[in-house]
Amino acid sequence: MNVPWTLKYKPQTLDEVVGNKEAKDTILRWIREWNKKPPKKRALFIYGPPGTGKTVAAEALANDLGMELVQSNASNYRTSEAVQKFAGIASQYTTLFGKKRLILFDELDGIAGNADRGGLREITEVIKVTNSPIVLTANNAYDPRFSTLREHCQLVEFKKPTRTEIETLLKKICSYEGIEAEVEALKLIAERASGDLRSAINDLQALSQGKKRLTYEDVSWLSTRDRKDAVFKVLSDIFYARSSSDARRAVDAADVDLDMLFEWIYENAPYQIKNPNELSAVMEMLAVADLYRGRIGSTQNWELIRYFIDFMTAGVAVSWSHKSSGWVPFKFPTRIMMMSQSRAEREILTIIGLKIGKRCHISATCAIKEVIPYLRIIFQANDKWKKGLSRWFDLDEDMVNYLLTVKN
Amino acid sequence: MWTEKYRPRSLNDIVDQEEIVNRLKSFVKAKNVPHCIFAGPPGTGKTTAALCLAQDLYGPGYREYVMELNASDERGINVVRETVKTFARTKSIGEVSFKILILDEADNMTSDAQQALRRTMERYTETARFILIANYSGKIIEPIQSRCAPFRFTYLPMEHAINWIKHIAENEKLTIEDDGLEAILEISGGDLRRATNILQTAASVGKPINEETIYSVVGRANPSDVQGMLLTALNGNFVEARKKLRDMILKYGLAGTDIIGQIHNETFKLNVPDKWKVKLADIIGEVDFRLLQGSNEEIQLSALLAKLVEAGADIKRGQ
Repeated sequence: MNVPWTLKYKPQTLDEVVGNKEAKDTILRWIREWNKKPPKKRALFIYGPPGTGKTVAAEALANDLGMELVQSNASNYRTSEAVQKFAGIASQYTTLFGKKRLILFDELDGIAGNADRGGLREITEVIKVTNSPIVLTANNAYDPRFSTLREHCQLVEFKKPTRTEIETLLKKICSYEGIEAEVEALKLIAERASGDLRSAINDLQALSQGKKRLTYEDVSWLSTRDRKDAVFKVLSDIFYARSSSDARRAVDAADVDLDMLFEWIYENAPYQIKNPNELSAVMEMLAVADLYRGRIGSTQNWELIRYFIDFMTAGVAVSWSHKSSGWVPFKFPTRIMMMSQSRAEREILTIIGLKIGKRCHISATCAIKEVIPYLRIIFQANDKWKKGLSRWFDLDEDMVNYLLTVKN
Repeated sequence: MWTEKYRPRSLNDIVDQEEIVNRLKSFVKAKNVPHCIFAGPPGTGKTTAALCLAQDLYGPGYREYVMELNASDERGINVVRETVKTFARTKSIGEVSFKILILDEADNMTSDAQQALRRTMERYTETARFILIANYSGKIIEPIQSRCAPFRFTYLPMEHAINWIKHIAENEKLTIEDDGLEAILEISGGDLRRATNILQTAASVGKPINEETIYSVVGRANPSDVQGMLLTALNGNFVEARKKLRDMILKYGLAGTDIIGQIHNETFKLNVPDKWKVKLADIIGEVDFRLLQGSNEEIQLSALLAKLVEAGADIKRGQ
């Protein structure tokens, strides 16, 4: 069975969509208004982080009400002409077979820059006159480009589901699939996903396919979707590639998550490459790759991903002589493990920072940097002051203990 | 915390930044305050001046009329839109017809958020006045700057800083030895918040406050052994240097931009040929810029460490 579980376990009804109760209520209230006549705001703008169920909610809604979903995604509304096609559909009340329609403009973030402004303007026009309910989705509804559009929409925010909500769903899927999963394993998957339900389900499938048992070790070691030996092969294909195109091809051949692959390369470069000049050149290539990844993040232009791949593969391969001083085994990227381990610590640090910041009129960042290091020493040195200051800052026992145990 | 215990509560108690304080006092007298930008280095009294102005203006119940936001904690466009608007649009009842919104670390706001702020400032000028606090006024967008009265805070003159520390010491019945006082001034470099925190920490240890106690306290308080990391890299141990870097970021929660500031400081103190120092400054600057573009801190800084390993090797070979 090769059906992605994200599809197989996609909610069929709005009720099944994980979390976001308030948002779902708003959606229902809005769609009910349509029973009488088109409401003042004829479009619903669902926004929120990736993988929180925005699209799925629209689909489930159509399903609930027996409507036909007319869907369009980013590539279809680059121009106003493309959008006008929808205008025709939107003006009709029902399909030939008497079914009502729900129109979905998915992933509006995909509209980039000024070139596509026509498309956005046209969508606004369609909304003004539509006779069928319209749903829009985007990550950030407050993007200035959406300002006019927004005025004609009922806004609904989808928030990240909590770790427990994700865990519950994973548990359910496991029981359907007949997988016996350790609680800790699911907890870790849920935590790593940090609110992205889609990636959590994908991870669960990648880790447990063909297995009857899923243990904590499976999750912590195999990490995101990668099988260890497959990764080793890809790494060696990249580091020791004969040509730049061979290095790039290694990625295609590998079914690995790109960010994770990057971590593997980044972790292992200094172990494989001993010559300082070569190591420096390779690390610079990785830094440039990372720079492109950052630009993808800030511009949401996913086409830049090819440069990320170029530099992490070809860039690395051609920047050194491939003369290794004997076989060196590849190492697991410890940074990933450390990041999830220290996440809890950093969270408590931020909370303490915020509390101090409130009292001392500074930001949490400033408190972490300028007050907490001194507070640690004070707490360790002076019991009386520790008590007084903890009370004044409103720190609970866990926080005080944290400050006492972590050494400067 | 002594920083709070000894924070002045009225403009009359502020001994420094005389010119600024006088202008602020005239606002109080006229019961009218324009939008303001307070710019200057940390620990020079910007937040204090804003709070004092509010207290002098509204009296003891000032908290009702003042909202303090920190842009670093709540940056982004939504906060400006929602929180600020809700606060700004309701009228203040009382002698003074407007409320005051203190926006600290305003230079950390995204330019989108600043644009939104600009409109809010304009729209609610009747009911709310903004005091923006920033280290660098240059990072505030031009249209906001032009709507604000600028105030430039500078580091305190040495004798005022000395008086400040002595004043606290006297109140807390501490004895500070002269070399201890000098050490505090040297380390804090005119930043009174820092100086006060160092003093309080040294006092908590319960030993005589002299040069030795001060330096030991400050040493313990600085987990970011940037110098150690740079030397490790120069000696050719990249893996160990990267581990130190990773600890700073993940264990101690230091921000990449802070680490880079420290690296920049340390670089010119390193025992490497001047030619390399300049080369490194260029590389550091590039990394700094890349971080602003959303790159990953550890990866960019590691590339820098790898350059140091290279430099170390070259230097050993006598190049």
